[in-house]
Formats: sequence, structure tokens, C-alpha cells
Amino acid sequence: MRIAVCAPQVPFVRGGAEIFTDKLVEELRARGHETALVTIPFKWYPGTKVLSQALLWRLADLEESNGSPIDLVVTTKFPSYCVRHRNKRVWVLHQFRQAYELDRTALGQFGDGPPDRALRRSVQTLDRIALAEAVRLFATSRNVAERIERSTGLVAEVMPHPPQELPYRCEEYGDFVLSVNRLDRAKRIDLLIEAAALDPALRVVIAGEGPDRRRLEGLARERGLNGRIEFSGLADEEKLASLYARCLAVYYAPVDEDFGMVPFEAFLSRKPVLTTTDAGGPLEIVTDRRTGLVTAPEADALAAAAGWLREHRGDAEALGAAGHDLAAQVTWDGCIDRLLS
Amino acid sequence: MKIAHYSPMPPEHSGIADYSALLLPALRRRVDVEVIRHGRTRPARDTDLAVYHVGNNPDAHGWIVGALRRRPGVVVLHDFVLHHLVAGLTIGRRDGHGYLDAMEREGGVVGRLLAHGVLDKRIPPLWESRPQEFHLAGEVLALATGLIVHSRHVEERARTAGFEGPIWRIPHPAWPVPELAPERIRGEPLIGSFGNLNSSKRIPQLLEAFGRLRRDRPGARLLLVGAVSPGFDLDRRLQRLGLSGEGILREDYVEEPRLWSLMAACDICINLRAPTMGETSGSVIRQLSLGKPVVVSDVGWFSELSDEVALKIPVGVGEAETLHAALELLARDDGARATMSRAALELARSEHDLDLVAELYAASLEQAAGGEAVAGSVLREVAEAAAEVGIEAGSPEASDLARRLRELELGR
Repeated sequence: MRIAVCAPQVPFVRGGAEIFTDKLVEELRARGHETALVTIPFKWYPGTKVLSQALLWRLADLEESNGSPIDLVVTTKFPSYCVRHRNKRVWVLHQFRQAYELDRTALGQFGDGPPDRALRRSVQTLDRIALAEAVRLFATSRNVAERIERSTGLVAEVMPHPPQELPYRCEEYGDFVLSVNRLDRAKRIDLLIEAAALDPALRVVIAGEGPDRRRLEGLARERGLNGRIEFSGLADEEKLASLYARCLAVYYAPVDEDFGMVPFEAFLSRKPVLTTTDAGGPLEIVTDRRTGLVTAPEADALAAAAGWLREHRGDAEALGAAGHDLAAQVTWDGCIDRLLS
Repeated sequence: MKIAHYSPMPPEHSGIADYSALLLPALRRRVDVEVIRHGRTRPARDTDLAVYHVGNNPDAHGWIVGALRRRPGVVVLHDFVLHHLVAGLTIGRRDGHGYLDAMEREGGVVGRLLAHGVLDKRIPPLWESRPQEFHLAGEVLALATGLIVHSRHVEERARTAGFEGPIWRIPHPAWPVPELAPERIRGEPLIGSFGNLNSSKRIPQLLEAFGRLRRDRPGARLLLVGAVSPGFDLDRRLQRLGLSGEGILREDYVEEPRLWSLMAACDICINLRAPTMGETSGSVIRQLSLGKPVVVSDVGWFSELSDEVALKIPVGVGEAETLHAALELLARDDGARATMSRAALELARSEHDLDLVAELYAASLEQAAGGEAVAGSVLREVAEAAAEVGIEAGSPEASDLARRLRELELGR
């Protein structure tokens, strides 16, 4: 089949979504499908830019290319699913969250005035229209599927996808907790830093880059944690796999996250995951005392959980092993069979 | 964002007052609301949008139309036929010319002549004899910047009447069921009818059908709750049909808690109506919340209820016979009643959920207040970009752009 995989691109930003779409293209090609990645730059501000950018997708003609029909399109993030196609499959990584659960929070985008309120509703209208056009609608997690149903009334099939391919292994249950994430406020890495401030034995390695790095470094300095918090920046594949292989546990607790691949990556390295009760999607696979520890979103609870794992390394290993069994069930073969059927 | 909310409110005895009292707390969790006190028509300051709840009762809604005249806004059209309201606002205020003009606006010269006939008492009042032919919603529609309606029926009638603005169809919210014990009333089955007793509630047809049912089912009882309308001789009808004995139970107007207890006691609830003014029935909503099988007239909003929750009786020839067959079916088939009951509870829980309704309200009001600015901004940006690459108005490319904008409801 000729397949177009559609994904928006915020120039100079690369994260889980970009890794996912690249991998999806690669896996489709590996199964003999002629596949192209179609991207359009995405800028969601100021004002109504978020809508005019969505219109760009609507104007794209993907019915055919260079005289040959495109059999199927797969779209992922907002607003790529606004594209028109007779055989549109939507695999929603997430909607435009500022228009939904992030509205009227510190992470929100829309003010209280009538134009901003109406703009938010227009984004919701776009979702209702564009997602309803899908021949099949998938969501990367139950959390995302439930949000779609609440906001549009549409029922999406839950289909998580495998994490990026790394040389996953487990070398030890070492003396540090690893955070792998983009450094922005919504990822709540400051909570882990605050936990380290409460537990003098807690060492932390923070992998990733992002706009919140300076603030987080400042917080670590303020708390006098310079020796125990290491900002390792963007890690290449080998370095990242090595960090996973050597850590005690992996911290992953964004606010009401869609899903996130980090827990799967941790599990494939046989490491338990530390998360919080309000983390959203991760809670679908991180179960307290089965595949990790789930605490209240408070620094002292998190510090206590990390301390417990340090004192019970055998349990940490067992939790990681249970997670590994779970992650091993999610394969590209299974996903692509469902996506194209 | 803040809205000015014009509606009758409790303690006024009005279905729309009950409706607003139910909706407002949930709406206030989403939007800042200033409830305008009864009678104030001066536009409220520092509000972004005015919302007017309009029904057919001139005493309850006359002042709201007065406010609407001073500041156009979103109208929640609870009834489509507003003839009685307009008659009250004109003839009721000694403004015969106003009534003539309203009738002419809708019915042309013929309408004006008929209005003269009404003013001269040569023909019966049209709001009683022919309300559906002359809805007189024209002025309200002309002043409305958007409409909120509860049914496709009203939406279609508004469009037919020429309304071109946005219309949001939002279901009537369901009340939370109070924790009250059902009234202990015998009846095999117990059939209930709630609301004023008159011809437009099809009480003659109901009595006839019930009389037939009782011949075969002497244990059946009919509970009639509501005031008897002037000119409707209930007692004489009951006597004629031989129903003056213990088969009929009567209650006049009852307060809300007793209303729920009585409804909860019923096995079947009857809600007949013809002609319809386009209204939604708060009684039916309550009955669905209680999981009661309902029997309705096959008109207006009532027709839009799903077949899983309602048996629908066509109005006109054979009406009483069909109603009797429906009652007999429900009386005999416990399974059918149980299935309808489950469907009713599910419908009330899903479609009529109060939070869902409040969310739909908030969405529509936010779009009404700011949608034009958003649409204008998008259109400006697209038009500028199009002009920069040489796309001219009227060209196929411009048409394609317009089509895509429409598909996504971006820009009106």
C-alpha cells in the first residue's frame, strides 16, 4: 500500500512524538508498504494561529501524489488529523491539551475573555469534525481515549505503541533515580528535585533538554543539591540505554500525561517506575507494588518511595521484571496489523 | 466571561423557572453568570453576552422580551409558538396595533384581517384556535443573535421561519432524583398523567382509552395530577364514561416532592399533547429519570424520543384506540416495561446529564460571545495569505479555501 503518515512538526523540537512517527514509517516500510512522512510546521500562538495552522492540513491534498493514489493516511497529533482522506486512520497521541484538561491551569493557553473562550471551543469543534471522519480511530492510551470520548462523544480503540528501540538491558539496581523527559513544567521534574532535598541519600540523574532546564538547575542549587542532581542533557541511544541499565528506578510523573513511552522503556530495562496518583496515562501500566510505586504527588511521599526501593532492591528487581513482561506484549506487528485492518 | 441571564426563577411557578434553577449551579461552574431580577429590562453592565429564556407565558416572559428589545442576545427558545406571549404583550397591554402589526408581519394582509377579527371579537382568539398557523416568533427571532433549542423540531421551524444565525440544540437537563419513597397507591397497573387537564393534553382521548382498558382490567387505575383548565368539564366526562368510581385518582397542583413521589408510584406515565407549541416536557424528563415507561403523542419534541423509551401515539383518527392498545401492551408485558425502564434510565443518565448539558451551554455561549472575533481573525489571516500569493476573490482557489473553512466551521 501507499501510505502517508501525517505529523505536525514544531521546528527544532524533537520528542517522543517525533520518535514515534519516524519509527512508524520505518516499521511500515519494513513490511513492504511504500510510506512517506508528511509534516507541516506547527505554531499554536498567538491568537487564532492554532486554527489557521489546522487549516493548512485541511488544504493538503493527499488523495494522490505524483499521479498515483495514496491508499491510506495515518495521522497522529493535533492538527494533523484535520487532513482529508477517504481512508483516514487516526492514531491519537494527544489532542491539543491546552483546549481541554490544561485549560485554566498554569499550563493553559486561553484566557477568560470571550475571544479566547471561543477560540478554545473552535479547537474542540475541529476535533469533533476531524476525528469523526476517521475510518478507524485509535488512542495511544485509555487516558487519551477517555478524553476523546468526553470531549467529542467518539469512541476510540486503545492501542499503545512500543517504545523506541534501544539496546535495553539491566546491569544493576544502582544508587540513582533516573528521570527521562523533556524539561518543561508539565513534566513535573521539580517534584523529584524537592524529594531529593528531603532525602540526603537520594541521587538523581535528569536526562533531557527543554525550556525549564534553567529553572530546574536553579532549584537544585537553591536546595543545595549540586552534588546529587546531575543534568545529563540529551542522551544518545547508547548513553540512554546505559542510564536505564544502571539506575535503581525511573521517575515519570507528568501531570495527567497522555501515556508516555518512558515507563515502557524502563520496563524493558527491568526497572520499576516511580509515579504519582495524578499522572494519568502512566497509571495504566504502572501499578503500585506490581510494576512500580505510585505515590501522592508530594515530595515527601516520593522521597519515601525512593528510599524504600533503595532498601529493598530485591523488590525493585521483581517490580521491574513484572513490568518487563507487560512491555514485551506490545509489538509493532500487533499495532500495524490493527492499524491497517 | 460573564453572561446576563434573563429567566423566570423560583418561586415563580413555571417549568422554565424550574429549568433555570436546575441549570444555573452547573453553568456557574463554567461561566460567570449574573441573574437579572424579574422586570429589569435595562442592559446589564460589564457582561459579555445576554441570554434570554423565552416561553409562551406573557406574565413570566413579557419583561424578558422587553430586555431583548434593548439588547439583542442569545435566546433559549423553550416554545416555538409564541402567539400567546405576543398577544399578552400587545392586546394585553391595550396595544391592538402591535398585535395587528405582528400578525401582518407573519401572515401578510390575511393575517392582519384575522387580527382585526380577533380584536373585534368576531372570531375566537387565534392563540387558542390556530396557534400553530401563526406562531408569531418573528420578532424574537429577528432580535436573537443565536438560538438555543431543545429539539430538532424547533430548530427546523426556526430555520423555516427564516432564522439564519447559529442554533445550538441542547437537551433538557435531568433533575437528580430525590430520595423520596413512592406514594403507596394501588393499581394494576397504575397509570399517571401529570399537568393541566384539558383538551390539548388529550385528556378526552386518555379517558376513553382508559375506560376501555378498565373493562378488561378492573384493577387498573388512572392518576390525574394537575389543575382542570377553565371550560374543561372533567367530572361530566368521567360520569359519561362510567369512570367516576375508584378507577380515577385526582390530585390538584402538587409541590415538587409530592410530584416525584406520585410519579415514582406509577407503572406507566402518559404525556399526550396536541397541538404542540414546540415545548419540551419537564414531566417526561422527570419520568425518564425515574425509569418510567412513557406514552407520548407523536408530535414535536415528543416524536424525537427514541422508540426504546416511549410509545408514540399518532394524533387524530383512531387516537384513543391506539392509546388503548399501547396501555394494554404495557399492562400485560412486564418485560417490555422493564426494558423501557432500563432504556429510560440510560437516556436520562447520558443525553440529559446535567453536567453534559451545562458544558454544551457553556460551549454555545462562549461561541456566541467570542466566535465572531475568532472567525474574523482566521478569515483575515487566510485572506491576507491568499492575496499575497495571488488568489483572487471568486477564483476556484478562493472557493476551495472557503469550502475547507466551512468544513471545519472556521469562519461564518
